[in-house]
Amino acid sequence: MTTRIFEVQDVRYCYERVVALDGASLTVPSGVRVALLGANGSGKSTLLRLLDGLYFAESGVVRFAGEPLTEARFEDESFSFDFRRRVGILFQNPDVQLFNPSVFDEVAFGPLQLRWPPEEIRKRVGAILDALHIAHLKDRPPHRLSGGEKKRVAIASVLVLDPQVLLLDEPTAALDPQSQGQMIDMISAWKDTGRTVVTATHDLHSVEDIADYCFVFEAGRVLAEGTPSDILQDVGLLRRTGLLHSHRHTHPSGEIHSHPHQHHDH
Amino acid sequence: MHIPDGYLSPSTCAALYAASAPFWYVSLRRLQRALRSRLIPLLSVFAAFSFVVMMFNMPLPGGTTGHAVGVSIASIVLGPWASILAISIALLIQAVFFGDGGITALGANCFNMAVAGSLAAYAIYRVISGNCSIGSRRRVVAAGLAGYLSINLSALLAAVEFGIQPLFFRDAGGAPLYAPYPLKVAVPAMMLGHLTVAGVAEAVLAAGLVAWLQRSHPSLLRATAPNAPETNGAAADGWPAIRPLLVGLSILLLVTPLGILAVGSAWGEWSPRDFADPAVRRQIAAVSLHQQPPSIVPAGLQRLSAIWTAPFPAYAPPFLRSASFGYLLSATFGAGLILLVAVGADRVFSGRRGSG
Amino acid sequence: MGSHGFLEGSIQGFLRALEHALESEELARRNGLLQSLDPRVKLIGTLGLVLAATTSRRLAVIAALFALACLLAACSRVPLRTLMFRTWAGALTFTGVIALPALFLTPGPLFWRLPLLGFPVTLTGLRTAAYLVSRVETAATLSMLLVLCTPWSHVLKALRVLRVPVVLVVILGMTYRYILLMIAAAREMFESRRSRTVGRLDAGQRRRMAVSAAGVLLSRTMQLSGDVYLAMQARGFRGDVYVLDEFRMDGRNWVWLALLIALGGAAVWAGRS
Repeated sequence: MTTRIFEVQDVRYCYERVVALDGASLTVPSGVRVALLGANGSGKSTLLRLLDGLYFAESGVVRFAGEPLTEARFEDESFSFDFRRRVGILFQNPDVQLFNPSVFDEVAFGPLQLRWPPEEIRKRVGAILDALHIAHLKDRPPHRLSGGEKKRVAIASVLVLDPQVLLLDEPTAALDPQSQGQMIDMISAWKDTGRTVVTATHDLHSVEDIADYCFVFEAGRVLAEGTPSDILQDVGLLRRTGLLHSHRHTHPSGEIHSHPHQHHDH
Repeated sequence: MHIPDGYLSPSTCAALYAASAPFWYVSLRRLQRALRSRLIPLLSVFAAFSFVVMMFNMPLPGGTTGHAVGVSIASIVLGPWASILAISIALLIQAVFFGDGGITALGANCFNMAVAGSLAAYAIYRVISGNCSIGSRRRVVAAGLAGYLSINLSALLAAVEFGIQPLFFRDAGGAPLYAPYPLKVAVPAMMLGHLTVAGVAEAVLAAGLVAWLQRSHPSLLRATAPNAPETNGAAADGWPAIRPLLVGLSILLLVTPLGILAVGSAWGEWSPRDFADPAVRRQIAAVSLHQQPPSIVPAGLQRLSAIWTAPFPAYAPPFLRSASFGYLLSATFGAGLILLVAVGADRVFSGRRGSG
Repeated sequence: MGSHGFLEGSIQGFLRALEHALESEELARRNGLLQSLDPRVKLIGTLGLVLAATTSRRLAVIAALFALACLLAACSRVPLRTLMFRTWAGALTFTGVIALPALFLTPGPLFWRLPLLGFPVTLTGLRTAAYLVSRVETAATLSMLLVLCTPWSHVLKALRVLRVPVVLVVILGMTYRYILLMIAAAREMFESRRSRTVGRLDAGQRRRMAVSAAGVLLSRTMQLSGDVYLAMQARGFRGDVYVLDEFRMDGRNWVWLALLIALGGAAVWAGRS
């Protein structure tokens, strides 16, 4: 029996005078990998922050494991610690979450704030650095890391807490192809591991590998939902929401034109 | 203006650390209460901003470039307490990591720039801008003046700190141990560069940024303008009233070099030395209905004239080539001081209160 | 200075700062004497020696401290060239300009008359200038050594031994990290403006360009601070920060601490008049 880890009902959120979410609703079952698809500005990043209890909805409700997430609820330290350990978020811009002087300090930050014992921290940090093959970067300051390395350090700093839920905001953005591939592999590997993954993305090429279910966003609302193959076949929907990939290209026959297409050949 | 190690005696350094410490303590307490967990990211990032801005070469009128400190814009956007800490943090990193400014002199630098600079800039900005609207031109002027005057205040404090060193700290043979120049040399020498370059750079940065913020992020000016109306509405500014005063002052400033043309000295403004100089004696007689001045300097004059050796003897700071330029400078500084006092008095007596 | 002088000047400043940061990281990783000591020992030792240089009233003592600094530098594989250009040259020009007039202006017994110009150099003037220059150079060398031979994050954590509050240590670490990020951003902005500007700009345009660069930086600053705050909260931060205590004092470090304190103390004692 799958429980519902997140329930979003009719949620509204505004930044100053710009409406980011306008009555969005969705449900995320536990242990499933979900993708939030939408063009930039469609509200998916905002929703992730609401799911992580960083922003709170102006109207509507966001529930985590049945419990509504409100500012008052987070005042309770034990709830807050428990939530922060169980849910991890990866921001689009890694510079924002690499604010410690060295890689080791960065990965140790979460466990330190959650008051784990020092020996435990040292062990776990060492283990995760090894697992992600960044142990050699342990004492490096963040400004001397490449884009791919920064992403891996950011992931390490989240995974060290061993969260059950992962919220990823455009994880492959601004990465070189090799790093992108590694990232997609990692999310693929989380299938059926019991981990819930919510990925916000506009990259249709990888969505079948990283998600079992999709929600399509437009103008702050969920327009459609379905399995990746269903969504990818709905060309009209994709065009409407600006997700379509269409540019001039050359066919092997020599013909040059532009039309919606996918790049896989098998 | 970043004082290195070795210019100030250990006791001066200790005294200035002791003077800065209560401000650091109070700022930290207030900010922890007000910002709570937001304190750390806000201060860190703003300190980084002011550090980087200190590295900008600001283009100034006349074709020169200068460096601003950013203390006035920090006070205007964040308020004086956060500014005190943010600038102190930037100064610490400059001193320790980049070697710009001394470690023992850090207390002095923080006191002059972070503490005095922030408080002065905030006070001047608040007083001059009053309750005018966020988008009003008056705020831009207030910011420019706040920047100019606060930097010059910091420079003056540094100059005084330098100037008193030879007074108190000499070795057995009489050689000054630390900064070697007395007040009457240190003050004009320091003030020259700040009146003309550094102060202007700070004013350009502060005024320019406030104007920029008015257009793009007016909400950032809210923190120090709690009672300001949003729109650029009625002429409740009071700005038209100040304008003629400022115009008149500017004209006076430009015209002061004409004073040099008035040959000879003003009546009554003679120094004891003049009584001994035959040429001056003839002049005095000529303007005093041909009465000969006494040959012995009056005792009272002798005693009193030694008490206050004006920092700007004969209005012209040394190291200058042009007398009229020196005149103009002294006038600007004098006017600035007078403006500051006048504005302060206005606030005290007018009964108009902004909050804070 | 040309119409782009202010852009060039600023860009050069950024590059120098970035180079300095890079170089100090490289030197801190070398296998030398200072690098091997506990950062707290270095911090206390350096402060003690700088204090001794500032309090001393005897030129000979200050000179000895300077020699000690150079010796420590040599043992820590810090190249002379680095010291010369990073520290000595800058301090010498700045302080030299200030100290020069003191040679002639300080009243006292005549030492020498400058040929041609005939300016009198007094003995007291010479001593004063010597005090100023030697103190500045010694203090600057010692503090530069501390920073060149220790990773910045360790310097900060060492500050806690001086009872600096944790919140300040964390702020300093974050500030340094974001300084480097912002220098990179500012440099990009300035370089792109330089490449897009053809021909001369008038004074007003130049000022507007500089101010708008500062403005963009400021708005990015506020944005960044908000985002970093969210990222900190997402990992459990609630207002109090905790740092990992990773330094261990061993016998060797105690010996060096004692040695440095003794040297500082001896210098203070020898330097009193």
